[in-house]
Amino acid sequence: MYVIVVGGGKVGYYLSKHLLDRGYEVTLIEKDPRRAEVLNSTLGEIVMVGDGDEMAFLATTGMERADVVVAVTGDDEDNLVTCQLAKRKFNVPKTVARVNNPANVRIFKTLGVDVALSATEVLLDLIESELANKETAGRSATQA
Amino acid sequence: MGLQFMKLVIVGCGRVGAMAAIALSKAGHRVTVIDSNRRAFDRLGDDFAGEMVLGNGIDEDVLRQAGIESADGFASLTNGDNRNIMAAQIAREIFKVPRVITRIYDPMREDVYRELGLNTLCPTLTGARQIHAMLKG
Repeated sequence: MYVIVVGGGKVGYYLSKHLLDRGYEVTLIEKDPRRAEVLNSTLGEIVMVGDGDEMAFLATTGMERADVVVAVTGDDEDNLVTCQLAKRKFNVPKTVARVNNPANVRIFKTLGVDVALSATEVLLDLIESELANKETAGRSATQA
Repeated sequence: MGLQFMKLVIVGCGRVGAMAAIALSKAGHRVTVIDSNRRAFDRLGDDFAGEMVLGNGIDEDVLRQAGIESADGFASLTNGDNRNIMAAQIAREIFKVPRVITRIYDPMREDVYRELGLNTLCPTLTGARQIHAMLKG
């Protein structure tokens, strides 16, 4: 299985590292050459320097044979465009995007991204369900 | 255009965004301009009759504040291709704005999104073609 990760920040780094550990073929795309050098020295030569939204560059990454493209930069607009290009121009079967503004989860899905994940939303849901549990527990304790 | 006066939302108050906003407002349309930098609104001048909204043009809440729900037209003209593309798609697919225009500098990306049905404007391509024509004489 071939996975392309776009964005070499902390999320992109750890994701690539664990994917490699599990035996997947991985290419990590990072636009900052200095950051890419650091990533290459720790992960092995899997990093390509370039913009995840430049069509000409993406064509050199072997994207047309990727099984999954994961866009995890800190900018929602870049992640969206990367996933849309992967899907529409390179026929990638599965696209996954990190979403920074939780309100964009719905928008990404409407605009054709297969999986849109917001860490903020996940945390919010956890906190809310935690609070709801406490309230229920508190109530049953009073009733008892 | 069919409508006499339109409600228009413009994202990006750079040179092009500001000029478009001024001209459309002078023509009698109700124009709202969005930019994330307050100083960008200086380009509109003191006698601009439209409205200004400070914020990110790909944020649904900011777009609502700018009146996108009742807009007849929308243009994304920031200096970021992806921001313009995303804003235009939100306007078209989420808010169903009837007329949506977006500027994309990268000709290859412009090609993709024109194919997907966006009304795109690529100054790189039109500029290059014009220069070519002028040099040919």
